[in-house]
Amino acid sequence: MIAFACSITKPEIYRSCAGPGIERAAEMDSEILAQPAVGTISASYNALLERFAASPDLEALVLVHQDAEIVDEQFCATIRQALSDPNVGLVGCVGAIGVRSIAWWEASVTCASFVNRYEEYGGGDLESFSWSWSDAPAYARTGEVETLDGFVLVLSPWVVQNIRFDESIGRFHGYDLDFCLQVRRAGYRVLTADFRAIHHRPLEMLPDPEEWIDAHVKVAEKWDGEMGIGAGTGTWPQRAFRAEAEADAALLQAHLYGLELAARTQQLERELALARGSVSWRATRPLRRLSARRRSAAPT
Amino acid sequence: MIAFGASISGAEAYRRYAQPGIDRAAEPDSQVYAFASVEPIARTYNLILDAAGHRDDLEALVLVHPHTEIVDPQFLTKVRRALEDPAVGIVGSAGASGVRSLAWWEGQVTAAPGRQRYDEFGGGSLPAFSWTRSAPPPAEVEAVDGQLLVLSPWVVRNLRFDESLHYNHGFDVDLCLQARAAGRRVMVADLRLAHHRSIELVKDLDVWAQAHRQLARKWDSVFTEAPSDEAGWKRRARYAEARREACRAIAFSQAMKRDAGVLELERELDLTRASLSWRVTAPLRVAKRWWRSRGEEETGGVREPEGLPAFEGRWELDGAQEAPGRRDTTGRPARV
Repeated sequence: MIAFACSITKPEIYRSCAGPGIERAAEMDSEILAQPAVGTISASYNALLERFAASPDLEALVLVHQDAEIVDEQFCATIRQALSDPNVGLVGCVGAIGVRSIAWWEASVTCASFVNRYEEYGGGDLESFSWSWSDAPAYARTGEVETLDGFVLVLSPWVVQNIRFDESIGRFHGYDLDFCLQVRRAGYRVLTADFRAIHHRPLEMLPDPEEWIDAHVKVAEKWDGEMGIGAGTGTWPQRAFRAEAEADAALLQAHLYGLELAARTQQLERELALARGSVSWRATRPLRRLSARRRSAAPT
Repeated sequence: MIAFGASISGAEAYRRYAQPGIDRAAEPDSQVYAFASVEPIARTYNLILDAAGHRDDLEALVLVHPHTEIVDPQFLTKVRRALEDPAVGIVGSAGASGVRSLAWWEGQVTAAPGRQRYDEFGGGSLPAFSWTRSAPPPAEVEAVDGQLLVLSPWVVRNLRFDESLHYNHGFDVDLCLQARAAGRRVMVADLRLAHHRSIELVKDLDVWAQAHRQLARKWDSVFTEAPSDEAGWKRRARYAEARREACRAIAFSQAMKRDAGVLELERELDLTRASLSWRVTAPLRVAKRWWRSRGEEETGGVREPEGLPAFEGRWELDGAQEAPGRRDTTGRPARV
């Protein structure tokens, strides 16, 4: 039996995102447990693990963020295939190698089969590189990785019974990397598999940077170089000066993107004003009104 | 006498931007020290300081970046007012307190109203420092932006730009810190400027980061309390590395917002241009363009490209009147 579980802080998000995805992916006998969060995400997930640890027929437990929507109807077949190797402990659809910190996306990402669906700016989808395999770059592949993105995690029964999320790391960040490291330290493999999901989330990646920084430091200190986490070159003063400089350079880059948006907006608004201010556009306004009226009157 | 100085690496930029601004602001007796740049910029500025320092009647030296245009008709009046306090060593148009690094703008910024005029994306202008929050001047700060530096005679004669800062970034912050260490005040005054520069704030971020480290090593004890032991440095490095990744994520988010914002407008434009009424009236626009081009051929005239509003020079002046002491070409200030 493949079980699905979700820790919920916003029921309406679960209803519109994770819920439909789980219904799409689940099998007749799948158990679905969607329950309110109990503190940090680690504590909530541990509660779910406790709930399923004793299930005798458990084949896998799928932990889904409330804003993640599985879109693959062959999902269960895919993860059964991935878990057919008894040494596999975890499966996901986004993962990386060469990971040094909880910012795993700064490492060598090998698989990213998701879209970021946002609502700002009229809404839209930002496809990641292996969302469509026909367009994927040469480095895109499924297989063994060092860490997975925690938005959809598939756990083997052994992992459900033996590994727990570290509740000391923080409220929301870094728990996924730490969990993957624990599974790998226990001798189990972490894999990406060929399934896809939509991550319904705002464009702002870090609404709470200080909390994220805190989790980053905690994970780096906990692993302190083990499996490459928290490792770096140079003395501590050299690392400090380098990182401080690179942080401010990144912020400068962020300022540049803001300026680019402002400049491009000015340019496009000029073009739009020109198009809509033209005699031909103004002269045909009654036609558009008529068309809009007909559309709104048409039965849906 | 208030003198002006510039380190000129691109003669065209100076001629187009800095020079008209200096001409606008200067008085009949103003000296202009326009020197060809010697690398690093600190070296050229020191040559200018050496030259200006010999003038007994020096009231102030204004160092102007070639891409910076003074658009303030009251510029020298404001400079004199800012330097009335003999403790003031350096005045700028933008600066910050709480400066912890070369990135002075990450502190509490004070900036005079101004414009950043860029050529990319069809050209345009934005409020200067629109990418950061700023308070209006005047204010005492720790460092000012090197796009325009007003130096008191004491600073001209007693301080020098650090020529070991060879990446051409941070010479401004360094001089301000030197002035403050010598007991002088650094101020932001309401000096109106136009910055004719790319929206790309820094050409090479790797070089900028090198300069950041160089300045940090020199002034670390001023910027922050340096750790006393290995454990302290490890804590600082851990935090810095975490903050770096957070800043990169912030930059990535900003890039996504840029893409999404542009996409939204492009969709709207495409929708407009794909509409039936737009397509039906396409022949009218073709005919209009033909008619216009015919008119141009006949008159030999040049028209503004469609969609681009004619440039209005007034924004730079913000309703300014001619500066006192401004003169025509025959009355230009003497150049050294």
